[in-house]
Amino acid sequence: MLRLIGRRLLLMVPTLILVSILIFALAEVLPGDVGRSILGPYATDEQVRILNKELGADKPLYERYARWAGGFVTGDWGDSLLLKVPVFPTVMKALGNSLLLAGFALLIIVPVSIVLGVFAGLRRDSVLDRGITISTLSMTVIPEFVSGVVLLYIFAVWLKWLPVTAMPPDGSPFVSRFYYLILPAIPLMFLELGYIARMARVGTVQVLAMPYIRTAVLKGLPRRRVIFGHVLRNAMVPTVTVIGSQVGWLIGGLVVIETLFVYPGIGKLMVDAAQTHDVVMLEASVLMVAVIYMAANLIADIVVALLNPRIRMGG
Amino acid sequence: MSDEQYRRDYAHHLIEQVNKGHMTRRQLLVRASVFGFSATAAGSLLAACGGSTSGGGSASPAPSGTGMPAPVMGGTLKAVLPPSITDLDPVTIYDQGGIVLISQFCEYLIDLDDKNGLKPKLAESWSPNTDASVWTFKLRQGVVFSDGSAFEAADVAATMDRLVDPKSGSAALSALGGILSPGGTVATDAATVTFNLDKPFADFPFMVSASSYNTVMLPRTYKGDWAKNPVGTGPWTMKEYVAKQKCTAVKNPTYWGKDAAGNQLPYMDQIDWVLVQDESAANLQLQSGAIDLQPQTVFQGSQALFADPNLRVDIYPGTGIREVAFNVNKDPWQDANLRQAVAWCLDREAINKALYDGRSNLGYDTFWEPTVYPGSPTPAPRAQDYDKAKQLLSDAGKSGGLEITLTVAKYLENPQLAQLIQAQCAPAGINVKLDQISYEAIYAGTQSGPNTDTPWLSAPMVIVEWGSRPTPGVFAQAMLLPDSAWSSSHWNNKDFATTFNQYMATSDEATRTTLGTKLSQIQQDDTPILVPFFITQLRTQKKTVYGVQGPGSFYCDVSQAFVATA
Repeated sequence: MLRLIGRRLLLMVPTLILVSILIFALAEVLPGDVGRSILGPYATDEQVRILNKELGADKPLYERYARWAGGFVTGDWGDSLLLKVPVFPTVMKALGNSLLLAGFALLIIVPVSIVLGVFAGLRRDSVLDRGITISTLSMTVIPEFVSGVVLLYIFAVWLKWLPVTAMPPDGSPFVSRFYYLILPAIPLMFLELGYIARMARVGTVQVLAMPYIRTAVLKGLPRRRVIFGHVLRNAMVPTVTVIGSQVGWLIGGLVVIETLFVYPGIGKLMVDAAQTHDVVMLEASVLMVAVIYMAANLIADIVVALLNPRIRMGG
Repeated sequence: MSDEQYRRDYAHHLIEQVNKGHMTRRQLLVRASVFGFSATAAGSLLAACGGSTSGGGSASPAPSGTGMPAPVMGGTLKAVLPPSITDLDPVTIYDQGGIVLISQFCEYLIDLDDKNGLKPKLAESWSPNTDASVWTFKLRQGVVFSDGSAFEAADVAATMDRLVDPKSGSAALSALGGILSPGGTVATDAATVTFNLDKPFADFPFMVSASSYNTVMLPRTYKGDWAKNPVGTGPWTMKEYVAKQKCTAVKNPTYWGKDAAGNQLPYMDQIDWVLVQDESAANLQLQSGAIDLQPQTVFQGSQALFADPNLRVDIYPGTGIREVAFNVNKDPWQDANLRQAVAWCLDREAINKALYDGRSNLGYDTFWEPTVYPGSPTPAPRAQDYDKAKQLLSDAGKSGGLEITLTVAKYLENPQLAQLIQAQCAPAGINVKLDQISYEAIYAGTQSGPNTDTPWLSAPMVIVEWGSRPTPGVFAQAMLLPDSAWSSSHWNNKDFATTFNQYMATSDEATRTTLGTKLSQIQQDDTPILVPFFITQLRTQKKTVYGVQGPGSFYCDVSQAFVATA
């Protein structure tokens, strides 16, 4: 197991370097430049040129990359070119917000979708199975900006049961943040429920068809023991892998939810940085999302290895 | 002639113009404010004209519905704004979020009222020499910056020199370039500033008013670090600013301002500005009751606010436009017949209805429009006329049809406008291909010189959004002269340019009216750009909120805002 973890951690280093180079290169092809973004459409070319020189944005790409990467490794992440604020605390705060929202959403999504998927798998082709499949898939196809607006209108504007934003006022106790996150977590649940529940259902159906399950049943093991001792453990392998792959999106891809619920997460931070050519901010935030994505997949692999000894033993 | 003698003569001239019917009473008030007459003096001029002095005045309107209740002191107002794209620097800001925030903490020499008229702020009075090439401003005394230093003429000179310095990155340079140069602003004494202009400019006070967003007064020691050390003379001081999220403004204890009844301003203790990019999210916050005020409401997508029983949407006469420019240097737009053909295809009423539910004012491809700029000559209306359009196409040798490309950013209601133009041109045989690009892409690239490639200045036909401008001359200066920095049409009409310089160099109102009529006629006839409408500004607030002032555009004054008790 330690060898597996060590190998995966080592692989993360070249991946991160590659991601950072790619982002720097891609930022070059984005329309506009930093000086123009800062000074706006009404500034003259001369004004933009002077500012770009001051910012060092006129230097070659490799030179800027080397300066930035060196600073990143040594803990000096620099200041945002546009907002003139330190990048490190800005990215970390946004990342913390996104982690909280993703974690809270996963707390709801994972148990609900697994329970629904396993029930559907155990009652294959029944009314319950079809009901769960159709309803969860229907929820998945609703775009989050549609479900988000509808939910906001019903629960925040009309009934006034829940707040219209995802952040409590300053000075509120930390626990109140979960109350504010209920509404934004629901559209995420809609999106993920169908996908994860379907994986849990497929896993359950496949495991139920395995000879060792038939043997366990024929041996006279109680149904509860067959399900919890044999079916669930093996059916969860593909489900855990899928959940791991969804964590990256739940952290860095929630631009619509963050925008609609006015939530200062890292998804919106990345999009804003990309649109305004704020390469320093963009690089740091994308790299941190990449780190989280890789960490989530590593954790998923560890869980899978724990569930399946063949993987743990390198088989 | 002394300044005082000149002012007396000019006052007499204004009265004479009204009595002869050459000016409206409203126009007298505007011109009197431009030439530095106080509200009282302007009222006296109106009285001298005879008849009622009410009506057409520039005082702030009472909120719609019932009358204004007595102000309530204290409390916190929650307002929503789009976040600033860049850091907060008064010299370089150019977007709505930054401009509204900066103007809470800093002040202009001259304010704008709800009808785009001028009213004194840090300058108590102003007056020009005879050809409007030298302007003298008298400053308010006893004003201090929030850092404790006194506001004096040297601060004005330093601020203006900074704004016209190309190295400062000033967003005001495009407006002030060619009018004021570094060193042109002189501190005559601590309370007097003289502006020596590069050329006569009769609308100059507007260029140092709230309509010229960057011209807030900063201390002479300003080092470009406003976000870290927010300093100004305004009614608020900054308690906290978190970029893209929020800004907390608290009452400035040393603020000089008082209301008409002598109450110390501002009324409220605190303003919480919530920075929200998405219009839908902002509207939902207004509807849920979490927010009290939205200084500028975009009509498209905000229709539900009009029906909300807890909200009041105030309508102000804005002058913002969507310029549809024909690049006269590129095919096929060298031919004025083709430009006019497109103009005659437009059903402006239908466009206004579709985009603004009929709330905006129609435009007829000239800036001199009396419905938005009182006293302007009335242009010939341009109702949709396909026969005329087809005839013009035929005259241009395009009777078989015309293929054109219209470049438009996916921003505000611009794409919808482009689609309407496309649909309305089709019956005349004009096939409009839409080139939709991002907001960032349309302003990217080289902006000047022979290698200009930024789409908004180089595309053959393009839609460009412009915020309110207080006079038609300010619009024309920015985009219709041969040396205009932001001319998407690249129109070079010598007759127009010569007439425009004459127009700006005279204070004789009869002459200005004659020249304005000629300018309007040239612009409409040659049609370098389409101006289908002037956008009415909307401001949304709870029905209990009163006293928000400003022209409903970027600038917004909440020093006299208060929340009425039920």
